[in-house]
Amino acid sequence: MSRAIIHIDMDAFYASVEQRDAPELKGKPVIVGGHPQRGVVLAASYEVRPFGVRSAMPMARAIKAAPQAVVVPPRFKAYVEASEAVFRIFERYTPLIEPLSLDEAFLDVTASLGLFGKAWELAARIRKEIAAELHLPASAGIADVKFVAKIVSDLAKPDGQKEVPPGMSREFLAPLPVSRLWGVGPKTEEALKRLGLRTIGDVAAKELEWLAQKLGSSAQHFWDLSHGVDPRHVVPDRDAKSVGAQDTFEEDLLGEEALQPHLHSQALRVGRRLRRAGVKARAVQLTVKYEDFTQVTRRHTLEAPTDDGQALYREALALLPKVDLRRRIRLTGVAGQELVGEQEQLGLFAEEAPSRSDKLNSALDRIASKFGAKAVVTADLAHDAPDDQRDGFYREEKRETAVAAEKARQQKGPRVEREPGEEG
Amino acid sequence: MEFRIAADELKKALHRAQGIVERKATMPILSNVLVTAGKSGVTVTAFDLDIGIVSEHPAEVVKTGAITVSARTLFDIVSFLPEAQVTVKKLPNNYAELTSGAAHYKIVGMAPEEFPKLPKDDAAHAVALSGPTLLEMIKKTQFAISNDETRYILNGVFFEPREKGLVRMVATDGHRLALVERELAGDFKLKSGVIIPRKGLFELKRLLDEAPDAECQLGFAENSAIFKKPGLSMVMRLIDGQFPEYQRVIPKEGEKQLLVRRDKLFDALKRISLLSADKSNAVKLSLSENLLRITANNPDLGEAKDDLEVAYRGGTLTVGFNARYLLDVLGVLETDEVSVELGDEHSPGVLHLPGDKSFTAVVMPMRV
Repeated sequence: MSRAIIHIDMDAFYASVEQRDAPELKGKPVIVGGHPQRGVVLAASYEVRPFGVRSAMPMARAIKAAPQAVVVPPRFKAYVEASEAVFRIFERYTPLIEPLSLDEAFLDVTASLGLFGKAWELAARIRKEIAAELHLPASAGIADVKFVAKIVSDLAKPDGQKEVPPGMSREFLAPLPVSRLWGVGPKTEEALKRLGLRTIGDVAAKELEWLAQKLGSSAQHFWDLSHGVDPRHVVPDRDAKSVGAQDTFEEDLLGEEALQPHLHSQALRVGRRLRRAGVKARAVQLTVKYEDFTQVTRRHTLEAPTDDGQALYREALALLPKVDLRRRIRLTGVAGQELVGEQEQLGLFAEEAPSRSDKLNSALDRIASKFGAKAVVTADLAHDAPDDQRDGFYREEKRETAVAAEKARQQKGPRVEREPGEEG
Repeated sequence: MEFRIAADELKKALHRAQGIVERKATMPILSNVLVTAGKSGVTVTAFDLDIGIVSEHPAEVVKTGAITVSARTLFDIVSFLPEAQVTVKKLPNNYAELTSGAAHYKIVGMAPEEFPKLPKDDAAHAVALSGPTLLEMIKKTQFAISNDETRYILNGVFFEPREKGLVRMVATDGHRLALVERELAGDFKLKSGVIIPRKGLFELKRLLDEAPDAECQLGFAENSAIFKKPGLSMVMRLIDGQFPEYQRVIPKEGEKQLLVRRDKLFDALKRISLLSADKSNAVKLSLSENLLRITANNPDLGEAKDDLEVAYRGGTLTVGFNARYLLDVLGVLETDEVSVELGDEHSPGVLHLPGDKSFTAVVMPMRV
C-alpha cells in the first residue's frame, strides 16, 4: 500500500526562534553563531541568505559577506524547548515520527488520513498550529516515499509546502540533478557525470544491468531511488533497530590513538540518543571504512543492555583491534543495536543506589539540555564539534541530501554521512 | 635438560594449561608453560599470575633442568606427533628440541628463571574433602556468577563455612542468586567467607570432572586458595572484597507456593521464550488454581502460550521473568519436581527442591 509521508523542516530554526523571542530582530538579517573568528554559522535567517550566508559557514566569512547582520550567540535551551513543543504538535497526528534533528522529522501519516483528511491538509494543519502556537515557520514536503518528501520540503522553503502525488515521484525526480539522490556524495556525483548521467531521469532511463556494471553494488540503490522507490519506513527512535553515529574525517586517520576521540564522541552521542528514546542497547557495532572505501563492521553483544556512552566507548575500543589498524581509515561509526525498552529486569539488591554512571549521565543530560551538549565534555573531546553543528541533538544520523552534503563540505570538523542501505 | 615422556601424558598437562595461560598476554612469558625435569619426573607449570597449576608426570629423565615455551605451540605439536613417545631436550639460547620418530622440532623458548614464581602454599591449611560434593556445589552455583566486570565482587562464588562442617556456596549477579549448602568435613580455619573467582572455579570444576573420585584437598591461605589432588596442585588468587549480604535478599517464605514437574516447566519455558521480545527472554507466568500459564509476545514475531498443570491453591498472580534465569536453575536440579514460591509481580521467585532448602535459587522478576 502506498504511504503518506510528510517531511517537516523548520525554517532557519535557531534564527527564527531568536527573531520570535526578540521582536526587534524581526525582518532583520540574523546570524546565530559562535565565536566571530573561530566559530561557524549555526543558522542564518532568510533575510541574510541573499548575501550568501549559509549554515556551517565560518563566522568570519559570514560577517564579511553580511557586515550589517545581527549576530546572536546561540541559546540551546530555547531551541530544545521549541523543538520539543514542535514534536508535541506532531504527536497529535501520528505516533510514527522519525526525528532527524532538532528541527526536522519524517511523519508517516498513512493511518491518520481517515481521521484528518488528505495528507496535504494535514501538513497545512500542522504548519498552521506550529505558526499559531509557537510563532515559528515550517516547511513541509509530502510524498509516498521518504527521500522524495525530503527533497520536496527543501523546494517548498521558506514557509511553504509542496506535494508529489503518489506514483508521480519518477516524473518529479527526472529533471533534478543526480546530486539530489540520497547517498550521492561528490565522488559518486563525479562518477555519474563521467557516465553522462546528469539528471535523475538519466539514471532512471538506463538498464539496471548497465548501471550495475559501472557502479557495482550501489547501482540497485540509485536505480530504485531514481524510479521513486525507497522502501525505508518512518522509524521512531523508540522502535529503531539501532541507534548510531558515524563521521567521515577531514583526513583519513591512521592508528588507534587517532581514532579514539572520534569513537568516544560517537559513543557518547549514541548514549545520549538512547537515553532520550528511553531504550538500551544489547549489542554494540563498530563500523570502519578504509581509505579505499571498503567497509567492515564488528559487533559485540553485551552482558546487560546499556545506555551509557562511556560503556559503549569501552566496547567500541575493545572491538577496534579486530579491524586492520595498519590501514588508513576515513570513517568510523558506533551503533547501539538490539534495543530494549520497557522490559526491565528488577534487581535483587533493591536498595542498591543507581550506578555511578547512571547518576553521572542523568546529570550530564540535564546540563546538556540547559547549556548545550558542549557545556561539559570529556577532555579528549574538548576540540570536538558540538552535536548541533554536526546534525542536531535528536538524531545524529541525519540522512543527507545533496544540500546538506554541500553544507557539510564547507564545515570545519567531521562531516556526517549516511550510508546507502542503512536503516536508522 | 633432557627427558623422554609419553606424548599423551604431556598433552594432558598442556590441555589443562590452555585454560590458564593468556592468549594475548601483556607479558609474553604468561603465554608459556614451564617444563621442569627433576629426578623423579617432569612437572608442568601454567600460571597467569592469578591461577597456577603444577602437575607431575612420569618421565625418563636423562638430565635435569627447565625450559619455558609457548603453551599453545607445544600443545599443538604434541597433538600431532607420529609416535607415542617424545624426547624433549634443552638447547643453547633457551631453544627446546622435540623429537618423536623422524619428526623433529626446534622451538623458541625463554629463560626459565623469568617464569613468574607461584605463591607458596605452605601456609594453607588443606582439608580433605569429597570431590563429587564440591563438584555438585560448583555446578549448582556457577551459572549465577556475574559476568559484569565492573562488579568484580560478584565475579566469583562466595565460599562460606558454616557450623557442623557445613559449607555454603553462593553466587549472584544482582538479578538472581543461587545458594547451596553441603557437608564438606573439616575445618578450613576461615574467619569469614571468601570469594573464589569464576576462572579459578571453572578450572577447579575441570580438574574435578577429570577424576571426580580422586582424593582431593582444599585449603586457604591469606588471599589465595589451594587445591590438591594426586600429582597436581592448583593455587588461585581470591577476589578481595566484601560479598553482599545475600541472606537479606532471600525471602523467608513466599505466600504463593506451587509444585511443578521440573522437565515440563523446563520444556515449556524453552518453547515459549522463543517468542520473547528483543531477545530479552521475557516470559509471563500467570498462576491460577492448579494452572500455570506461560506466555510471551514479540511485536515483530507474534505470541505464544502454554499451559502447565501444577499443584497450587491460592490467589491469581501474573509475573514476568527472564526465562533463561529460570532455565539455568531447572537445568542444574535432578529431581522430578521443583517447588516455586512467588510473592507479587515485584517480589523474587524462589526455587528449591520440595521439602529441601539446602539448595535455593532466587530470581528477580522482569517488569513486563
